[in-house]
Amino acid sequence: MLEVRDLHASVSEEGTKILKGVNLKVGKGEVHAIMGPNGSGKSTLANVIAGRDTYEVTRGDVLIDGHSILELEPEERSHKGLFLAFQYPVEIPGVSNAYFLRTALNANRKARGQGEMDAIQFLNYIKDKVKLLGLPQEMLSRSVNEGFSGGEKKRNEIFQMAVLEPSLCVLDETDSGLDIDALQTVANGVNALRSPDRSFLVVTHYQRLLNFIVPDFVHVMMDGRLVKSGGKELALELEERGYGWIEAELASKA
Amino acid sequence: MSTVTRRYESQLDSLTETAERIADDGPEWLQEARRLARRVHAEHGVPSTRAEEWKYTSLRRFAETRWSLAARHVATSSLAVPGYVEGAVRIVMVNGRFDHGLSSTDGVEHGVTVRPLQDAIAAGDELVRWHMGQAGPEATQTVDREIRPDVYPLAALNTALFEDGVFIHVAAGSGGDALVEIVHVLADPSETAMALPRTLIIVEKGGRAKFVETYVTEADSPGAVLPVTEVFLGEGAVVEHVRVQDQGPSSTHIALWQTRQHARSEYRSYNVCYGSQLARVDQGIWLGGEGTETRLDGVVCANGEQHIDSHTRLDHAMPNANSFEIYKQIVDDSATVVFNGKIFVHQDAQKTDAKQTNQALLLSPKATIDSKPQLEIFADDVKCTHGATVGQLEDTPMFYMRQRGVPRDAAEAVLVYAFAAEVLELITVDAVRVALETKLYEKLGVDLK
Repeated sequence: MLEVRDLHASVSEEGTKILKGVNLKVGKGEVHAIMGPNGSGKSTLANVIAGRDTYEVTRGDVLIDGHSILELEPEERSHKGLFLAFQYPVEIPGVSNAYFLRTALNANRKARGQGEMDAIQFLNYIKDKVKLLGLPQEMLSRSVNEGFSGGEKKRNEIFQMAVLEPSLCVLDETDSGLDIDALQTVANGVNALRSPDRSFLVVTHYQRLLNFIVPDFVHVMMDGRLVKSGGKELALELEERGYGWIEAELASKA
Repeated sequence: MSTVTRRYESQLDSLTETAERIADDGPEWLQEARRLARRVHAEHGVPSTRAEEWKYTSLRRFAETRWSLAARHVATSSLAVPGYVEGAVRIVMVNGRFDHGLSSTDGVEHGVTVRPLQDAIAAGDELVRWHMGQAGPEATQTVDREIRPDVYPLAALNTALFEDGVFIHVAAGSGGDALVEIVHVLADPSETAMALPRTLIIVEKGGRAKFVETYVTEADSPGAVLPVTEVFLGEGAVVEHVRVQDQGPSSTHIALWQTRQHARSEYRSYNVCYGSQLARVDQGIWLGGEGTETRLDGVVCANGEQHIDSHTRLDHAMPNANSFEIYKQIVDDSATVVFNGKIFVHQDAQKTDAKQTNQALLLSPKATIDSKPQLEIFADDVKCTHGATVGQLEDTPMFYMRQRGVPRDAAEAVLVYAFAAEVLELITVDAVRVALETKLYEKLGVDLK
């Protein structure tokens, strides 16, 4: 599904190097978690995969189903089934959630050679998905994320994910700023979307999200590289012991 | 010899003969007003960019054109006249003349009178006589009934030359928030055709009405429209007034729009400018009574080589009045937009609350905006704020939308729309708001069905 090969990236304007050789393979239907201390490059990796132009790829490649996506525009990556749930979902005053999402859905359908949905077909299509995330119906007519609480914004991200039905979901710190109830709702939404055809890359600073979204693989990122990989038990070990022991392990190898 | 000239050499004497002919018609007071206007125009002519009020907008080409009045005989039945609400009262003016065939005044609310201005004048309507030219600040400050010639020299041309117009009267307590649509069409293929329509609206004490005034051209007629609109609100009157300038891209539009509010009246005005090669609207509102509420909002969208200039002036003359002004300007390609927002708080206008915001969105490196807020405050217990910002579309919302699959152009259009929506959403007539939104998307070149 997703393959990241020796990926190096820096901040476009100032040139600060952030990713320093990331290698990762995410198979079909797998859930991978990336954990790591603040500033290690987790969010940068998520944004580079999605095509954010504030970062410049200086070496390496990102492939989806064996094809490089680095030359593709963000919308083209979306049409290929890539979805990034933002750490800080953007407010767009003056544009209703329903309108925005229908525009996005139809752009995706058009790119895939499917017919566009009119307003009524769209409302029917999203009915169950609204329930899944426990979102109030009136949220659809409100401006995108405007005046939403932190929890509502994150639920709205997962709701959009449910509507667009991507094949690769990248979740960037989806747990940040959520209380335990909101976290559970968001996780339930994600779990409902798990399927043998859909892969997940979950970027998180804390282990607690992974109690709810149980990963198949856990990777630790430090200073722009994935330095350790393991099963879900690695997340528990990190929660217990912090990241210091990995640093020590790396230092002893060096 | 180097002298500072504040006016252009103008070819407008081509209109003199017409002006002389017209000046002999009508009642004595009107003849007098026209004679005065001609003298004013002869004296002040067409201002150059040396004149402070015209610093950013050059009328050189306008001055050098040998104008003539737009065609009198037009096959009007084939004209495409924009309408908003089906069955609404609609007045259609073609080349500055009331068109009975296209207008529909059936179903006008009880207490509301709609008629050609020329008919009202010919019938000796005293209301016309005592209101025409009396909406602006000068009506209070001077005995002279002419609109300030040094500031609005082209309005004098309208006074000297207008052939017809619209007269709307809403009797005390009448109107019931009914909508009246006024459409001005310039239909003349000549590059030197000029239309000078005049609109006079009087809403008496407690009257309530909505007006949408639209300016269009037939088949991109390249001429000029020089309209004057005057609006009077009696005590406690409530009026919503949308002005839409959507003329073809070769035309010129130079307008004066003045409103006078009496005590406790509410005037919500929206100036929407999408069209013309060269456009200038001077909008002024005189708050002449206590406790008035005013909105003076604008949406401008300019692209190509367009030049769109909005000059606004609010006169807080009496205490306890609130005014809110938001101007949203979208500038693309090599277009230029100008904003000058004046607020005068006169000595008696204590407890004034005035808020002015001007926001411009530049979509191209060649786009230009000249923005000049101008507050002059002569009272000591007032709240006045103003803010002007010029920006570009932010990266993060663009990336957010594109990440969800929305192509760049459409994402840009949605965000530009959202920028303008803060004003457009205030328009309470749904059909008008939707039409303006659709036109904006059309202009941005995006089909978002």
